Amino acid sequence: MMARSFDTLTAAEIAAGIAAGDFSAAEVCVAALDAIAAREPEVQAFLQVTPELAQDVAARIDAARAAGEALPPLAGVPVAIKDNMNLTGTRTTCASRMLETYESPYTATCVARMLAAGCIPVGKANMDEFAFGSSTDSSAYHPTNNPWDTARVPGGSSGGSAAAVAAGMVPLSLGSDTGGSIRQPAALCGIVGMKPTYGAVSRYGVVAFGSSLDQVGPFGRTVEDVALAMDALVAGGRDAYDSTSQEVAPAFAVAVAAAGEGLAGVRIGMVPAFMEAEGLTPEVRRGVERAAQTLADAGATIVEVDLPHVDAAIAAYYVIGPAEAFSNLARFDGIRYGYQEPGCTNLATQSALSRAHGFGDEAKRRQMLGAYLLSSGVYDTYYYAAQKARTLITADYNAAFAQVDAILMPATPHAAFRHGEISDPTQMYLSDMYTISLNIAGNGGIVVPVGLGEDTGLPMAAQLVAPAFADERLVTYAAAIERGLANGSNSASVLGVAPAFAGKGGELR
Amino acid sequence: MKELNEVLQDWEAVIGLEIHTELTALDTKMFCNCKLTHDDEPNTHVCPVCLGLPGALPVPNKRAIESIVKAGLATNCEIQKHSMFYRKHYFYPDMAKNFQTTQGPVAFCMHGHLDLEVTGRGAEERPACAFGEAEAASLASASAGAVGLSADLSRMAGEKAEGASDEGALAGLSSYDTAALATAKRHEDGSYTVPIRILRIHMEEDAAKMVHVGGEEGRIGGAAESLIDYNRCGTPLIELVTEPDLRTPEEARLFMEKLRRIFVTLGISDCSMEKGSMRCDGNVSLRRRGDTTLGTKTELKNLNSFKALHDGLAYEICRQAEVLEEGGEIYQETRHWEPSRKRTVVMRTKETADDYRFFPDPDLAPFDLTDEFIAHCAAEIPELPDAKRDRYQLDFGIKRADAEQIAGDPAGADFFEEAAAGLTGKAAQTVANLIVNELTGYVNAAGADVTLVTCGITPAQVASLARLLAEDAISSNQGHEVFTLMAKTGDDPAKIVDERGMRQVSDTGALQEIVDAVLARCEDQAQQYRDGNQKVLGFLVGQCMKESRGKGNPKLFNELLRASLS
Amino acid sequence: MALTQEDVRGIADYARIALEGEELAQMTAYMNDAVAMLEPVLAYNLPDVEPTFHPIGDLSNVMRNDAVAPVRDLSRDAALGNARSTRGDSFRVPSILGEGEA
Repeated sequence: MMARSFDTLTAAEIAAGIAAGDFSAAEVCVAALDAIAAREPEVQAFLQVTPELAQDVAARIDAARAAGEALPPLAGVPVAIKDNMNLTGTRTTCASRMLETYESPYTATCVARMLAAGCIPVGKANMDEFAFGSSTDSSAYHPTNNPWDTARVPGGSSGGSAAAVAAGMVPLSLGSDTGGSIRQPAALCGIVGMKPTYGAVSRYGVVAFGSSLDQVGPFGRTVEDVALAMDALVAGGRDAYDSTSQEVAPAFAVAVAAAGEGLAGVRIGMVPAFMEAEGLTPEVRRGVERAAQTLADAGATIVEVDLPHVDAAIAAYYVIGPAEAFSNLARFDGIRYGYQEPGCTNLATQSALSRAHGFGDEAKRRQMLGAYLLSSGVYDTYYYAAQKARTLITADYNAAFAQVDAILMPATPHAAFRHGEISDPTQMYLSDMYTISLNIAGNGGIVVPVGLGEDTGLPMAAQLVAPAFADERLVTYAAAIERGLANGSNSASVLGVAPAFAGKGGELR
Repeated sequence: MKELNEVLQDWEAVIGLEIHTELTALDTKMFCNCKLTHDDEPNTHVCPVCLGLPGALPVPNKRAIESIVKAGLATNCEIQKHSMFYRKHYFYPDMAKNFQTTQGPVAFCMHGHLDLEVTGRGAEERPACAFGEAEAASLASASAGAVGLSADLSRMAGEKAEGASDEGALAGLSSYDTAALATAKRHEDGSYTVPIRILRIHMEEDAAKMVHVGGEEGRIGGAAESLIDYNRCGTPLIELVTEPDLRTPEEARLFMEKLRRIFVTLGISDCSMEKGSMRCDGNVSLRRRGDTTLGTKTELKNLNSFKALHDGLAYEICRQAEVLEEGGEIYQETRHWEPSRKRTVVMRTKETADDYRFFPDPDLAPFDLTDEFIAHCAAEIPELPDAKRDRYQLDFGIKRADAEQIAGDPAGADFFEEAAAGLTGKAAQTVANLIVNELTGYVNAAGADVTLVTCGITPAQVASLARLLAEDAISSNQGHEVFTLMAKTGDDPAKIVDERGMRQVSDTGALQEIVDAVLARCEDQAQQYRDGNQKVLGFLVGQCMKESRGKGNPKLFNELLRASLS
Repeated sequence: MALTQEDVRGIADYARIALEGEELAQMTAYMNDAVAMLEPVLAYNLPDVEPTFHPIGDLSNVMRNDAVAPVRDLSRDAALGNARSTRGDSFRVPSILGEGEA
């Protein structure tokens, strides 16, 4: 066999190759670590690379195969884990000084399930500090660069997870999405990213930002890989350690295959107001139209739907998110774990300085805003209004889904922006305008690449949205877009590893 | 300072209690599977959840929810089907997350009541003027002011009820308010009965234990550092809040005792004030008799025994009266009862209400308790102390006070029922006497880990002893002796009595012979009796007992002597 | 009504976040911008709409059995391992009331 970089293989192909004996898990592991070594200096997707952990897992998979044991579905597939997910044997820093030396004493359920499916954990991915942001620039350690243009951001907050996949360092990664933190970086990095319905994947062990908004999901370069990761995440049933988790059938890979049968009878909604929104760039709009055409070509009917209250989503989000964030981050007081200001002789000073010096600016801003919004008198006005807006937005989606099977919309208003280009925090908040309403309502969404933008040459993406717990539709329709674009006249629409990094290191024998 | 009785002639004390009870009967903590312990090595029963580690999530303990529903049903509360857990934020290291998971405006249990029977000397604390119509007016006005009872609740008072199904709470208000007008009625013997309303019982989690090092008596003031043990953090805790319906320290003590008996009978907690598994804070304010506006209240802490609860409140009432009578002002503050110095001291002043930033905990699904769930809890409630007391009085014919005491302790009640099975009247009362007077003292003296079940004395032994006493086979003095021997040897009382020849002689023929012999020997004393000196009869009975070597029935000697001397 | 620096200082004290130097002024500006951005939500404080506190609203009565499961127990070393200040078996904090107070 010719030497080639492992980045040409999908997760499905790697697992199949190992199962067939074409190569070993140890070889894949070495290739992934080699690719990381070659590409990481320019991308900086990781906060911690874990070669020993990875090699241990790979060796166990090879031993299991040698012993004739049946291998789990993703055996030997390298995976990157967002650094807000606990994994024993790693630090979990949330890209914050606060947790610089924090050793995970336990493993998050989502990570444990990826490991149970045979994945090799190669490292912890960079992110916006405590997931507050849309650029990964607020990491306390270093920014991450977009593999398609390293002067640009990969998006955020799961920017490291997205960049690692887009740069071909891993075929799969895990991210978390509180207001778009999987979908927006997937769009900006030209890969597939999915936020399942709230409750589909356990949040246990994932450092909380907004408890009623957070959801874990996978990144991959193909819809099939994302579906395989989803199956791995839900196969264990509902998690007894997460009161809000629910049973979901591991039928995602099967649903991808269903795309081959065409979309006759499927109704896809589009929201005219979204396509005409101020701030939406023409190239992004054309990308979404390309996706709509592909779905129509596959047999789907495109109809207009309305989400009249969705304008309230951003304001509702910036009430609920900071309120929950203040509460969830209150525990970081430097006593049980985390940064502790040295030399303090009384507790109040120690706590206030530990938090002042342990947290970065955005983490402090969100907590301050949350503490204000929850305070007496303010709470009744804002928090109730936000939760009522939530009721109305959810009702909007329910009404729309009475007419259509899924809704197609943009994922982001524009392509990846340059580092430092958006400096005003409240302006930055607007880049989540298409993703936030799903976290408010709870239902799932998937982002799928639709080629490069005519104006910027950067990745473009479309977002599909399904009713709560109908996430398997997302991978069916996303796979239909993926196939349609691959078979179309403009095959450049299908994006793989970012060209600057493709084949750079990571040779598999 | 004036005495309490004197103060309460002029001042009406308005008292409310907040009672925290750890659900010690459970195996695990409120939101995680860690074992509940009391005295293990520090930080050995902790997990990501109760240590508040980043990423950890809570899952409620079903038996804790069942326990609080039982507590509510047993205290006449309305069980709220729809409720949620809330987060109550405060930065303090004993709460690992810097918020406590507790309940919001709607608790699992709302608007209950317990009726107190206040008897004996305790009833004298409430002066005669505190009965009747004035009492009704006073209760109604105190009730209106009850919103301010707790800082936690006042914040939530303005908040809307949770969800749509708040009819339960609203429908209940009317009967709950009527209870306020059911005033204390004094009986001929000075005793009285008074209903005490329960505002709510909510579910929450306990905090960690802190040890303050380097300060006076382990107090926080002056401590150089504090050490934290999270073993207790996350222990299921139920908090009961009364309306300010209590008027004397004795009523507060009785309420607490009654609640303790109910919770112990429910089997939800060991309710040990000594170990801290049942804790009580008291709110107290004074107003002139006849006034309808409430005075400023203080909150009392460290009331960690029934005596401390009574004495702390009594002191605080007298202290407030002195301040007010001297023209001073009462400040809203938290005060600490110091039992060794018999005084309360300021812990902290509350100038502004705390803002705990309550909001519904998004990590916990709301509750919509089903009828089946509530019925299942109700079915598990055993016979409660009041019902048991009434039954003992009716079925066994024992004294109400004894019935109350025995019925309040499930182990004692089981013991009594087994020992008194088939008995009534004198025999049953004798069983009760033995349990109350002999057995309880014996078990208490035997050490902390000895219980009624493990003390070695069986109900059959007590029944046997009671029969001997009831049949006058032995005297009550001998009864004590036999009890002691029985406890020591484990033998049956009848065997002890027979082997030691202790059985009383009640054959009047044999006893008359002894009487005749004694009267013949003690002619002088016999004459003194005939001359009207009744006291000399005791001497003559003593002589008869001596002659019979202790076996004669003293009551019969008494009768026979009187007859012979008349 | 705009938040003043005093208001913001009060919130920071409560939230245990020391604001130093320019931070108070910057934070005050941010807070006012952010609150202004939230203004549109106030239009939704409608009397006939129930708030949704939990997404996917039909989930209720989630409970677990009261059974000890030591699988999650942390050893004391693991429990204390991430703390910067410990004393013996316990976590340690400096004086709670501070120096000079008693």
